Amino acid sequence: MSKDMMPAFELYQPDSVDGAIELLAEAGEVGWALAGGNDSLDWFKDRVKRPQTVVDLSGLTELRGVRELPDGGIEIGALTTLTEVENHPLIRERYGVLATAASRVASPQIRNVGTLGGNLCQDTRCWYYRYGVDCYRAGGNSCYADSPQGQNREHCLFGASRCVAVSPSDTAPALVVLDARMVVRNAGGEREVPAGDFFIGPDIDIERMTILEPGDLLTAVRIPADWAGTRFYFEKVADRNTWDFALVSIAAAMVVNGETIERIRIAAGGVQCVPRRLDVVEGLVTGQPKSEATATLAGQAAIRGATTLNFNHFKVPLLDNLVKRAIRDA
Amino acid sequence: MRYPEPKFDSFAATIASAKATRRQFIKGVIASGAAVSSAAYLAGCSGGSGGGGVLERTLTLSVNGMQRTVDVLPNETLAMTLRYKLNLTGTKLGCDRGECGACTVLVDDVASYSCSMLTHAVRGRAITTIEGLEQPDGTLHPVQQAMIDELGPQCGFCTPGQVMSAVALLKVNANPTRDQVRHALSGNLCRCGAYDNYLNSVMRVSQMAQGA
Amino acid sequence: MDLIGKNFTPPDVRAKVTGSAKYSEDFRPEGMVFCKLLTSPMPHARVVSVDDSEALAMPGVLGILRASEVPPSPAPQDPILTDEPLYVGDPILAVAAVDEATAAEALEKIHVEYEPLDFTVDPLESLYPGGKNARTDGNVGNAGRIEDVKWTAQDFLSVPEGQLPFGRATSEWSYGDVDAALAAADLVLDETFVTQGISHNSMEPRSCMAYWQNGKCYLHTSSQSGSFPIPTTARYIGIPQEDLVFIAEFCGGGFGSKGGAYPIQAVPALLSKKLNNRPVMLRITRHEEFFIGSARHGFQGRIRMGFRQDGKLTAADLFIVQEHGPYAGFNDYQSAGEAVSIVYTPTTMRFRGIPVMTNTPLRGPQRGPGQNQIAMAIEPLLDKAARQLGVDPLEIRRINAPDSNWRYGGQQGGLTSAYLRDALDKGAAAFNYAARAARNGERTGSKVRAVGVGQAYHSAGFRGLDGLVVITPEGKLNIHTGVGNLGTYSHTSTARVAAEVLKMTWENCEVVRGDSSRHLPWNMGQFGSNTSFTMTRSNWAAAEDARHKLLEIAAMDLGGDVSEFEIGGERVFKRENPEQFLTYAQAARRAIELGGKYDAHEVAQELNPLTKTSAAGVAGTGLVGVAQDRLGGNATVPALAAGFIEIELDVETGKYEILDYMGVADCGTVMHPQGLDTQIKGGAVMGFGLAGYERHIFDPQNGLPGNINFLGAKPPSYLDVPPLMTTAAVELEDPDNPIGAKGIGEPVQGCAAAALLCAISTALGGHVFNRAPVLPDMIVNAAAGRTPSHKPLQVNTA
Repeated sequence: MSKDMMPAFELYQPDSVDGAIELLAEAGEVGWALAGGNDSLDWFKDRVKRPQTVVDLSGLTELRGVRELPDGGIEIGALTTLTEVENHPLIRERYGVLATAASRVASPQIRNVGTLGGNLCQDTRCWYYRYGVDCYRAGGNSCYADSPQGQNREHCLFGASRCVAVSPSDTAPALVVLDARMVVRNAGGEREVPAGDFFIGPDIDIERMTILEPGDLLTAVRIPADWAGTRFYFEKVADRNTWDFALVSIAAAMVVNGETIERIRIAAGGVQCVPRRLDVVEGLVTGQPKSEATATLAGQAAIRGATTLNFNHFKVPLLDNLVKRAIRDA
Repeated sequence: MRYPEPKFDSFAATIASAKATRRQFIKGVIASGAAVSSAAYLAGCSGGSGGGGVLERTLTLSVNGMQRTVDVLPNETLAMTLRYKLNLTGTKLGCDRGECGACTVLVDDVASYSCSMLTHAVRGRAITTIEGLEQPDGTLHPVQQAMIDELGPQCGFCTPGQVMSAVALLKVNANPTRDQVRHALSGNLCRCGAYDNYLNSVMRVSQMAQGA
Repeated sequence: MDLIGKNFTPPDVRAKVTGSAKYSEDFRPEGMVFCKLLTSPMPHARVVSVDDSEALAMPGVLGILRASEVPPSPAPQDPILTDEPLYVGDPILAVAAVDEATAAEALEKIHVEYEPLDFTVDPLESLYPGGKNARTDGNVGNAGRIEDVKWTAQDFLSVPEGQLPFGRATSEWSYGDVDAALAAADLVLDETFVTQGISHNSMEPRSCMAYWQNGKCYLHTSSQSGSFPIPTTARYIGIPQEDLVFIAEFCGGGFGSKGGAYPIQAVPALLSKKLNNRPVMLRITRHEEFFIGSARHGFQGRIRMGFRQDGKLTAADLFIVQEHGPYAGFNDYQSAGEAVSIVYTPTTMRFRGIPVMTNTPLRGPQRGPGQNQIAMAIEPLLDKAARQLGVDPLEIRRINAPDSNWRYGGQQGGLTSAYLRDALDKGAAAFNYAARAARNGERTGSKVRAVGVGQAYHSAGFRGLDGLVVITPEGKLNIHTGVGNLGTYSHTSTARVAAEVLKMTWENCEVVRGDSSRHLPWNMGQFGSNTSFTMTRSNWAAAEDARHKLLEIAAMDLGGDVSEFEIGGERVFKRENPEQFLTYAQAARRAIELGGKYDAHEVAQELNPLTKTSAAGVAGTGLVGVAQDRLGGNATVPALAAGFIEIELDVETGKYEILDYMGVADCGTVMHPQGLDTQIKGGAVMGFGLAGYERHIFDPQNGLPGNINFLGAKPPSYLDVPPLMTTAAVELEDPDNPIGAKGIGEPVQGCAAAALLCAISTALGGHVFNRAPVLPDMIVNAAAGRTPSHKPLQVNTA
């Protein structure tokens, strides 16, 4: 059955962050923060999500741009577009993994308007959920994808908890490996949330992808200097080379001394409802030579504990191979 | 005969225990010959249609260098405003979901999917559509002329979007390589598969810029 | 020839690049209102009750159209609206309102009660004893007859799981003794295969807009064809064809889904009638285009092939279970059988097939319907046989390629011309095939190089259609054509034949098309790769008719016999004394004075009624050439194509890059070089999609469609195809056409799809998937030595 044409809503276009937060706090569960609109408008047009109050953030120019921090890191405003992230000299120079990840999102037009914040906070792409069924994530009482003949090719290997959807963001794994911190503001003030804690799985809250609650606004991403200028690897494997979300993606940052991996961060996308930090792999390869043998071992470690569904068995060798490539080819 | 409200909690329990399948649930419904509403078969999101009483607001938009006054609803996309309120039908709706590029326009010279932006969100910006490229005396933009000479379009439906993406590229890079053109236009689908010809067209303009 | 074989600027391309081309959703007549469809949420149901009172009470809602109010379609034809929807998305009713937002709100206020009915998305499941039927009246049907067919448990148990049983077929033909040939063969392959169905994914959804004026219905619609759909569209609306004005100047792609009339065209027309003739716009959304826009049939098939040591195919035993959708569908499976007989010339052959209905979007012809699926299934098997026999993959195709005197199929039909071997040879040389193939399997890290060759066929011509040309009193030539504008520019390339015959300068010609009120002749539709053959013949006939009339008028006025005159320089003159001439303009004025046949006040009896009406419309306006193509002949006109591809495949990720592709066409004389080039390349892009990305996914538990949008459907983007491709043509004339031309649009997709699958298999060391499409996850699994996630015979699955 087909649905089209956005239902009516009240549109607010605040010109200050405080104004936006006040509106979102007041609207509560019936509010919606609109950044680039690439994710939001589809939900509205399909008449699946119907906020009463839409707060357009595009006027909040103070949330756009990149600035250097006193500690040597950088801060990226949440409304910085993905094209700007892809092309910004500071990001390209020091945090190439993020520039590469941003460059692989969707298509040029989407990157031109889509924001970093929006890419991080975007909803999952399980086709059942997007179709509008009454699954757990939609407030209902079942999971259609994780059913005896569910068509779950794109779904998770880890962390299933009634819901088997995956994190679709390309920039999320990159920011995890950069030890980024998300700046969240609400009426009560501002706080920093480490990237690893920002994204949540169904075991914590099955209806949300991040820790953001009504009234919260992601205003910026802060990246420390710890991984600036180190060796990076990013790879996204998707069906088509444009538009399509990752089947599996990998991001890594490492410092290699001579032949030895001194320190490393590595995270995978598309295999769990959150970007999956591969800390077992990190522990395994730290202090080891950057070699084919280490890479092979890393791949095998990464897939330990994977639980496959009806149609996503391929993600096991694919994750194995991507981790191997990150260690071997970075 | 009204079908009793499905007991989802117990159903969820049976899913978890894998004793029954959704299919069996549906077959049970079918076997009973009962009537169900579409809501029971496939419940949509709860909630009504949102706040009422929303009105159009009069905006002045800068479109193709002209100031256009138009009444726009809050939930109206730029593509719909262009096509239905300003009668600029050159911008096409191929999918209305940001997945094809047929609606590409320039917003402050940046290629954007007009179906995926609210008109209210771009009211201060300079919007250029396909209709804005031709000179008043009928002279075509070099990209348009090149597409005629290289026979770029087949069915023509994706063409305006392809032209706008190419124009946006050439504004920042007058002499792109074929690979750069390919990447810049990658957000424009062509089902007829005219990619080679579109690339040839833009490369013709690129080479002209090199020769100039 | 002066015009044929030369490039030209088509008259409509400027409108395409400026955005002034109007497709059906671009029209905005005064007072236009909107309608939207309420479509089925379930794969099969009966509408028990509809409560529209709340919707009708909404301000701005103007009316509702129900299935009971539209002309009925005899089962199994797909209906305009239905109270027994047969797939998720089947239209049940339409609501009209002052704007789309109101219509969308109104849809949600219409309360429909459904009785869910049995459904299936897998044909083999329906054939199993006790299996569900897609329809209440049966599960098997094609063009009229619906039956309830079940295979026996014994059928299924007699073969290992994963092999297609040879159950009961509803269609069968054979020639020669297939079983004896199989028994005597040096190599026998017994292969079960699946090709998945997929939507056409045309860029333009089939929106339509209609209104009435002075008793006529004006319909703006999206159509591949110009005059062919008119009788059936008129029938859908319930009016005589003379009362329909069919306007389709531009069409944003059809690929077979808009080749003829389709029922939804009637909805705005019928609603308009209910609303006092107000213009009604039906904007079809992308999701709705997925639902009602039709789709390619899927195949669950099996072939046993017997080969001689040198690679000659001596026996082919083909069985196809066709995934049929819930309505009349198309005859892909039968075309597939013919295609095998033509492309591989098996010495003996048996074909069997059965179309089994499913509750999935209705099926219809899609570019190379049947022929392109079977090309994808068989070509990798040829490579498999070649490997086992120690024969070169190119050679195994050459030895089995048809000659012009080959007789094919159960009826042992003839071919007008066939130069597939020449296409293979030309392509192999230009592509440097031998050198590239020598590097098959070469590895750089995790990347493997491989080449592939593919072939495909489609019939490419009809006969007996009509042409209509007018030489005006100003001396211009108006070429009226019922050819549509689907993007091939064939409306103009075929019109140039008329200009060629009459030795016109092209600048003095105009192609009249796109709107039936412009008096268009009865033409074949723009599908089936037929236009280049068919319409050149009909335009030739009409131009010849005009030429004879010119000679007659000149002989009348200037004295002498017709044989003493000829044409040239837009004059008709005495050969021996060119000073004695009439200009075309003068001849046209004379034709009007003479009346009768000269200005179409009298026309030939055998013309189609639509042509006669159009001729009457131009009568008295000039010298009219109007004739039916009676050039004769009855053999099949075969369009054949070969594709050569080189890829580099990464065994760690399942992704490959297409390094190079070349397509070669056997299409006879090339009328329009630029046009052919775009067709071969465009077909290749679509072929890469067919082989590498696109397929339907349905959840068999509830019939829900898994990919109703472009993101899920995955038509290829710029970055999924090579940045530069090459094309060539064999250019050997077909004897059945006055300029030697054949059509070409379809096999150029199939050969590319097949070539890609062959290359992927070769890159994986000969691993055959027996399935299309092949996506990265399948490649990753195969490279890792894992079994696929899906069962071998599953369709509509991830």
